[in-house]
Amino acid sequence: MRRSKQLGKWVIAVAAGTLVLAAACTPSGDDDDEGSGGGELVWAIGGAEAQPAGVDQKIADLWNEQNPDNPITIEVLPDEADQQREQQVNVLQSGSDEFDVLGTDVIWTGEYSQNGWLESLEDVRDQIEPEVLEGAFNSAQWDGELWAAPFNTNAGFLYYRTDLVDQPPETWDELCQIAEQVGQQEDIGGLIGQGFKYEGFVVNWLEYYWSAGGELYNEDNSEVLFDTDLATQTTEFMQNAMDDGCFAPGFNTATEEEGRAAFQSGKAVFMRNWPYAYQLIQDEGVPQVAKNFDIAPLPTFTGEGTISALGGFNNAVSAYSSNKDAAKEFVVWAATDPEVQKMLATVASVPPVLTSVYDELQNEPDMALLSEVLPDAKPRPPAPTWNTISVEMQDALFPAYNGDADPAEASDTVADAFNESVEE
Amino acid sequence: MAGAKVATEPRTPSGTGPGGPRTKGMSEKGLGRLFVAPAILLMIGVALFPVIYAFVISLRAYTGRLYEGYAGLENYREALTDDKFWASLEFTLVFTVTSVAAEFVIGLGFALLMNQAFRGRGITRAAILVPWVIPTVIAAQMWYFMFNVNPGSVNALLGLGDFNWLGEAGWVKAVLIFADVWKTAPFVALLLLAGLQTIPTDIYESARVDGANTWQRFWHITLPLLRPAILVALLFRTVEALRVYDLPQVMTRGSFDTESLSMVVQQYVVQTPDPGLGSALSTLTFGIILGIGVIFVSLLGRELTIGRTDG
Repeated sequence: MRRSKQLGKWVIAVAAGTLVLAAACTPSGDDDDEGSGGGELVWAIGGAEAQPAGVDQKIADLWNEQNPDNPITIEVLPDEADQQREQQVNVLQSGSDEFDVLGTDVIWTGEYSQNGWLESLEDVRDQIEPEVLEGAFNSAQWDGELWAAPFNTNAGFLYYRTDLVDQPPETWDELCQIAEQVGQQEDIGGLIGQGFKYEGFVVNWLEYYWSAGGELYNEDNSEVLFDTDLATQTTEFMQNAMDDGCFAPGFNTATEEEGRAAFQSGKAVFMRNWPYAYQLIQDEGVPQVAKNFDIAPLPTFTGEGTISALGGFNNAVSAYSSNKDAAKEFVVWAATDPEVQKMLATVASVPPVLTSVYDELQNEPDMALLSEVLPDAKPRPPAPTWNTISVEMQDALFPAYNGDADPAEASDTVADAFNESVEE
Repeated sequence: MAGAKVATEPRTPSGTGPGGPRTKGMSEKGLGRLFVAPAILLMIGVALFPVIYAFVISLRAYTGRLYEGYAGLENYREALTDDKFWASLEFTLVFTVTSVAAEFVIGLGFALLMNQAFRGRGITRAAILVPWVIPTVIAAQMWYFMFNVNPGSVNALLGLGDFNWLGEAGWVKAVLIFADVWKTAPFVALLLLAGLQTIPTDIYESARVDGANTWQRFWHITLPLLRPAILVALLFRTVEALRVYDLPQVMTRGSFDTESLSMVVQQYVVQTPDPGLGSALSTLTFGIILGIGVIFVSLLGRELTIGRTDG
């Protein structure tokens, strides 16, 4: 009796509390406008250039001047790619029309298109394909269909000290020889790159693997061509480079910025890094380095040609956009308008995708080198499961090159991850 | 505790207690419940609901993020046969035991020091608490930067050249534990200091009169009377250390077997999405932490009950 009475009191109290809560949570008014009516566009893109002073904002302003009927605003996403993806995914998964244009990393194309989040751009393919770089264009395709318009691209450079090295090496073995010899003479490190356990390490590893003649998939990504023997040799090369001092101290804990810090303070003979570092080293490096460095294509194992991993961002149209036509127009314009693409290079040192810009800016050393290495740059497969494969590669290959695991076993693990990606 | 006791005292002057005469409107107790109800509902909404929801998701099968149907306990089978789970559990336990032990010893030392009356005590207290104020992610980024070979602040300070703290198998864990101890020993010190200040000084005085030396006073008076505070500090720290995410995520990204349970959960929920497996892992993690928490709370509960019957 007493118990049920108490229970009753609790029920009343909770019910009353609910009312209070409900009142507190009810939206006070119509504060969210739908945004679908006026033809406005929202461009969800992240990174430094999406910030108010960045070049993306300038590009949006230019569009708004020319297209007052369909003005675009930037929804600034976080700096790190993984977090940008997470934010976009949250919106797309709920089927919301909040974002019209999505700034997507080249490796997300497959995942997004497979989930049905992207509007196909097949009908504007002809406007884009002849104008832009092939590698960037391929990164926007999955399953033979075009899902995004390329926006900017990226490729690796070999930075080297001209006061210590006469000629940039053409093979990795030659590079290691110089790195060990000169490094010992000068008491500094050899090659610094991106060896920390993250996506950047996968990029570096792939550049060694590709430059030894390795492949990941066939042309249409339907068949795995991963070569475990070559992969083992690649990992062993890195393992030896760690042990012999070809890699600079701290290689296995360096991302882009730690690498740049080492090189520009004179602690390394060579550096593998993206083009963004070129201007920064001149501005921030110690004088001895700032005046005495140059850039060259990355070496290969065979000494023939050059290989680089391709980076960059594409612009895709959300399948849930309520203004798809205008969004499509925007992404095509951003990919092919000479003024926009030139701004990327001149305002932000971001490599553009429009071929004609490279002809125009061929007197800039970094742009000239880019146009030399980009035709041979290889995209990481934009497979739907690329993130899973990448994490498996990091888990298996990082311990192997640090001498904590067997390189051959690591290759088998990675091969399994690739094979699974095709079976699914 | 004492306050609640006073409120339920039958013969309060207002006479509105449960034993008192019935007056119109709600009783004081009922009114109290009414005021507490929104908070309890909110707690259920933000604390209990996600746990239950995660459990529900853990019974589902997904491909990527696409729901495929009911999976039963398949996700748990997969989680428990995954080497990654066991490796991360091992690291998490090693990390928890060593870092909490070190934090306890150092924190107790700090607390005893801060409990002494000496010139500059205020400044010492403030200085010791500074690391605790810094957000963990920022502390982690800072130590990553300082221990890294480039630019190499720690090496420059110790004259170690290019010692690779974060890139040598044996040292990585030690650096992580060091960073955690640096960050949270002050927290333990703070809790223990609060406990120390509740111990009446006259007990020490009479012990001294009876001829007890410093060590005996510490061992037979300070430690037993500090027991509740110690248990609370260890409970908080253990539970937090078991959930560790930011330190290894920023400083090592899980390299050299330093992947914590929370990092594996994050990987499956966010990075390489498999919400079913991710939720199964997070439910397992929750179970482990809850189990250890319950052991502490039951120890603590007994402690508090004993304390109450005395009073």
